[in-house]
Parts: sequence; C-alpha cells; structure tokens
Amino acid sequence: MLLIPISSSSSSILPPNSYPSNHHSLFFSNLTYPIPHGSRKLKTLRLRANFWESIRSGFVKNNNSTQLVEPPSIVVDEEEETEPLLPVEFTLVERNLEDGLIEEIIFSSGGEIDVYDLQGLCDKVGWPRRPLVKLAAALKNSYMVATLHSVMKSSSDSDSSEGGNGEKQQEKKLIGMARATSDHAFNATIWDVLVDPEYQGQGLGKALVEKLVRALLQRDIGNISLFADSQVVDFYQNLGFEADPEGIKGMFWYPK
Amino acid sequence: MFLGGTISTPPASLRLRSTLNPQNAVTQSSSQATFPAAMQRKPPSYSISDEDLESRGFLLRRTAEGLNLDQLNSVFVAVGFPRRDTAKIEVALQNTDALLWVEYEKTRRPVAFARATGDGVFNAIIWDVVVDPSFQSCGLGKAVMERLIEDLQVKGICNIALYSEPRVLGFYRPLGFVSDPDGIKGMVFIRKQRNKK
Repeated sequence: MLLIPISSSSSSILPPNSYPSNHHSLFFSNLTYPIPHGSRKLKTLRLRANFWESIRSGFVKNNNSTQLVEPPSIVVDEEEETEPLLPVEFTLVERNLEDGLIEEIIFSSGGEIDVYDLQGLCDKVGWPRRPLVKLAAALKNSYMVATLHSVMKSSSDSDSSEGGNGEKQQEKKLIGMARATSDHAFNATIWDVLVDPEYQGQGLGKALVEKLVRALLQRDIGNISLFADSQVVDFYQNLGFEADPEGIKGMFWYPK
Repeated sequence: MFLGGTISTPPASLRLRSTLNPQNAVTQSSSQATFPAAMQRKPPSYSISDEDLESRGFLLRRTAEGLNLDQLNSVFVAVGFPRRDTAKIEVALQNTDALLWVEYEKTRRPVAFARATGDGVFNAIIWDVVVDPSFQSCGLGKAVMERLIEDLQVKGICNIALYSEPRVLGFYRPLGFVSDPDGIKGMVFIRKQRNKK
C-alpha cells in the first residue's frame, strides 16, 4: 500500500444542505496556479522519449494489450535548458479489455475531484474515515491535487484522446490521488498518496507522485517534502526522495 | 482532545470561509476554508506569559502587518538560512496558515519568527523558526513555538510536523516533538544535476 499517514480527526455531523442535492459531488478546481485547466484544447507537448520510457518501464504487460498513449504532439520551440511543461491532464495508459472495452488511465493535476469518490477510495485502502466537509476543505486548501481516473469506453467510440470529463457516457472512476500543500513560493509537502488496491502494482503510484513532483518543480517550488511510513520509504527513495537529508529529521507534535 | 467547558458552537455551524478571530487571522486568500474548534479550550499556559514578554520589550504579532521583510531576511541570514527574494517571502506569507513573530519594541525589528503551512484542517508543517542570535537563549523561540502550536490547535489541526536540523532537535523535543514516530521518515526530493546539452 502506498500510504502517507494522516491523523484522523473525530467524526462530526455533516452540516445539512451543504451540497447541491441533485448532484452528489463537489468539484474543486485548483485556481491557485496559472496554467489553465479543464480546457479541451490542451496545449499538449511532445515529451521527450526518455520521459515516457521511465514510465513505460513501470507498466506490466499482460494478456490484454497495454499500450502507452502519447498525447497528441505539438512540437513547441525547444528551450532545451528546461523540461517541456506538463499538460494538466493526459492519458497515462490505455489498454484493451475484453468485450471491446478500452480502459484509459488519466492523470490530472487540475484538482477536479469528487469528495464522495475520494472517501470511497480512502475506505478501499483502509484509511480511517474523515469528515467529508473537512476532506473537501483540505482539498480546497491544497496547492495541487493530482488524480488518476480510469475511464472505460467501448472501442467503437472515436478519438480516445479527449479529457474524459463525462462528455460522452463513459464510466469514470477515481483510482488514485495525491495532493500537496504549499506556501506557493518555497516549500511543498505531499500528503495522502493513495492508489486503489485493484490498480496497485502497476506503476501508477509511481507515475502519480512523479508527475506531481514534476508539476511542482515546474512551478518553481524548490523544496518538496513528505513523510513516509517506514514500509514506503524505499518507494519514495526510488522516486528521488532522500530520508533525513543532511541529518534533518521529520518530527511530529505528540503523535498518537 | 480538550473537553473542558461548554461547547461554544454546535457542530452544525461548522462553516467554510470563516476566520477564527481577528487577532489570530493571517492574511489569507478568500478561498481559504477554516474550521473553528467546536469546543472551548482551556486558557493556554505558556512558559513565559504574554505580559512577561511585554515587560521585557517583546511584542507578539500574529499577522504579517508591520513585518519588515528585509529585516526578517536579515534574521534568516544571521542564523544561516540563505537570503531569499523578499517578493517570494511575501507570497509565502500570504499562503501561510499561521505565523507568529516577536517585535523588539526598542528597535521595532523582528527578533523571532515562525510560520506554518498546511491544508487548514488536518496537517500543518512549521517552517522558518528563527531567533536573532543576539536574542537567543532567553525563551523567545519557545514562546513563539508554544503559541504557534496553540494557534494551530485552536484551528482544529491535529497533525503538526516540522523538519529539524540535527543541532536543534534538543530545542523541539521539550516542546513535545518526536522524531520518526513509528518509523515515519521525513523525506525531501533531491534534484539531480542535469546534463545540459
């Protein structure tokens, strides 16, 4: 399990009428950083081969053909000093399933997430329940929320490179999330990294964190930190994190 | 948590977009959602009281108002932090959940500082805890930390963490901080040197 521990707060009564009653979801778009999100015409960029290679190597090929989808490439003037900007939303994996179904795993740093879905996902990985209102607030107050969604569609659908935001009748499922808080200038801290157990072991958690880190770096956040359970220290080390750098220790105030 | 006294607000009145009370308010964007603690807390007992500090000429501040960022930067440099862009410091302070600084009345300069960032409900990390070297070892660091922690607790934040340099572990432990509880490790992303073509 890819978990970062969070303390559970005591349960509280949900305030009535906090949510639109006809549609049980809250969407929080993160408006704090400049890259426009949610637009269909994403300025997707040609990503370097080694960037995809590092992700491709994490995916297990099984009987169902799994292919990595490169986003439609528009070659941008290469300022070779810096990495090309990550698009806000793009497809990580596409695989053919039985019955002519296609599953797309979509990464997004746009922060659009249904709080009910998130709670369901937290339940699935076995985390203690946190009040929905607080979950929603935590998301809203996060500098960046990265999500993985699985979109199922039939192979008769044309053009699979759409964002999959429900324009067509597609089954879209939240399967992973990671979020970061930040002061928008110097430091960011990653919290709550989770992947649906059914989708673990496929390199998705790795991709989730790797993309989140990359997006943070591209916003000039110099210091990216996190707290890792002992059993996932290696996972983060493999992603470029160092424990106790220069002897600096993570400390908690009266941890439970 | 703390169960003394009467419940001051019923749980159903948890409201988004509220600040707790003016003296604890930090410059926040209007989209910040905060949760006041539902229960009244016992009055905090600090190692050094506000009055004691004041009598020694130290004024406690909880907002960035009146804080000279160049002077703050000088304190950072004096304790060994890199000098940072004051424009960036300003952005950081605007996106900080809580901060506390001590103003020395005589010089009107900041002599102690600490701030915390987080999601406003579950987690907070304390950064940039500094005391001007000329004013160290007289309880200012402790005073700032105790109050910052209290301010975070009042907001309902249970998970308060920080990253401590090895030489100041002994400063944080008496305040109640534990390193690597249950083997949890603080980790930092290390940027590799890129080969430029």
